[in-house]
Amino acid sequence: MDLTGEQRAILNGARGPYLAQCMRWLVEWGEVMEARRLIRVDNTHVLLPVPNLMARGASRETIERYVDGLREACRHRTAPGCLCTVHTLFLTLDELDVPENDPEQVCIQKEIADMAAEAGFIPTWTCAPYLVGNVPLKGEICAWTESSAVVYANSILGARTTRHGNESAIAASLLGWVPEFGVLLEENRKGTLRVEVSAELDGPTDWGALGYFAGKLAGLGIPVFNGARRPSQDEAKQLCAALATSGGVSMCHIAGVTPEAPTLEAAFHGDVPADCVTFSDDTLRDTYASLRNQTGTEIDSVILGCPHASIREIAEIAGLLRGKRVAGSVRLWVNTARGTKGQADAIGYTKTIEEAGGRILCDTCPTNMRMAARRIVTNGFKQAHYARGMVGAEVIVAETGPCIRAALAGRWLGDD
Amino acid sequence: MTETIEIKGRGVVKGRAEGEALVADAMLSFWGEVDPVTGRVIAVGHPLEGQSLRGRVLVIRSTKGSSATPMVLNLAKLEGTAPAAFVNIEVDSLAALGCIVNEIPMLTALEQDPFAHIRTGDHVVVDADHGLLRVTRRAHPL
Repeated sequence: MDLTGEQRAILNGARGPYLAQCMRWLVEWGEVMEARRLIRVDNTHVLLPVPNLMARGASRETIERYVDGLREACRHRTAPGCLCTVHTLFLTLDELDVPENDPEQVCIQKEIADMAAEAGFIPTWTCAPYLVGNVPLKGEICAWTESSAVVYANSILGARTTRHGNESAIAASLLGWVPEFGVLLEENRKGTLRVEVSAELDGPTDWGALGYFAGKLAGLGIPVFNGARRPSQDEAKQLCAALATSGGVSMCHIAGVTPEAPTLEAAFHGDVPADCVTFSDDTLRDTYASLRNQTGTEIDSVILGCPHASIREIAEIAGLLRGKRVAGSVRLWVNTARGTKGQADAIGYTKTIEEAGGRILCDTCPTNMRMAARRIVTNGFKQAHYARGMVGAEVIVAETGPCIRAALAGRWLGDD
Repeated sequence: MTETIEIKGRGVVKGRAEGEALVADAMLSFWGEVDPVTGRVIAVGHPLEGQSLRGRVLVIRSTKGSSATPMVLNLAKLEGTAPAAFVNIEVDSLAALGCIVNEIPMLTALEQDPFAHIRTGDHVVVDADHGLLRVTRRAHPL
């Protein structure tokens, strides 16, 4: 890779050993991914979570070495002119009376949070930074962690980011550069899989089903959706999250919606393949069925807000819960960013949800926390997919309306 | 009787490692689908569900899913449960980053289909410095 004199000097230790290591990560990563140079990054979204139960049973030495890495990153300043926000945690910084919120880890996380803010990061603690002020413009060069947000940034906003991990996003934040490869380059944003959508998509979870179906087929490629109506922001969020769950998709095109794909032809850079897969009403039904594995109807958890709920979703949930009562046997969690909860507090949605027996959970989600559950109802395909293994729960994935009905009844009542 | 074959490929992340192959024509996310402390695949219904990655040569299509894959690989490396090497058909930027940071060799672009020539349990030497894979077949019952 061609490096400038300044970049080479940093690699050789001119700004200290930690930034030399960061530069080495970016350079080696770039070389492996066939980048030719480092380019300026405008916007990053990084991971700075203490492991909590992600490393349940890990040795103290492992935890300390890992956390020391986060501390070291936060002892440096973010690059001037680069907006840097922070991803979710594996615990919540709020008081929460559950054993999964390990007080010792919360304490370390608060220390990291303070250090990160001091370093110039904006601690948004969310998987959906585009809902709380980090909304890159078309063409903006980003270095984002959170697989679902990467797809959203590329596909819905027209920004450009490859799939970043914590090390590369931290390095990009501190140095202000990213290796130029993959979907940062125009020629690599061409569609690879044509998906004709004939199914009637009724809400966000249906769009999640579309993503879950297509991600598996697309792998690391770029699916192009044709024939679907324009999604809402919440529907687009579900589509993007599911694409990066069953697959390793960096971006998709929705013909007529994605900023650079006004048409099917544009999505394929003029080279539309004749071959396509069809997402029909039958496929939609089968995709829901492929993930549901419940052996009964009694439920103990309803989890909404994966990725983190928007204010519109919280308004909808509050509306469905107003004056009602969640069954005593059910924990109803609405996961969201702290910024969105602030809005919900001010408007009164939080009070309505809490009066009904629900709870808004900030910074994280129950699956990330590995909160114990036996049978979960959720409106997110991503949550449903991972909860099966991470929590060991049975899952039912459904639109928000049926999720709330199940929460009130204490059992799954079906989709209609 | 054992049989050894060599397959040429492209070294993505340099280094040399060997171990027992763990093979599936599938994708895998480390966050959410691998427990870094036990080193086992926890994804329900995954072809590798329940399998340990510790010291294995992981022969899969590619990684997928979560951006916390390098982080989980880092925790696994610190815990001693990480795979010895990656052999992937396609290179996901997250697997590449995780292998660089954790000094795990990675090989891709094999001249022969690894799913046809490597079986779980075979002994595999990954020489990513020279882009070479050496497979010693475990004796399989007919």
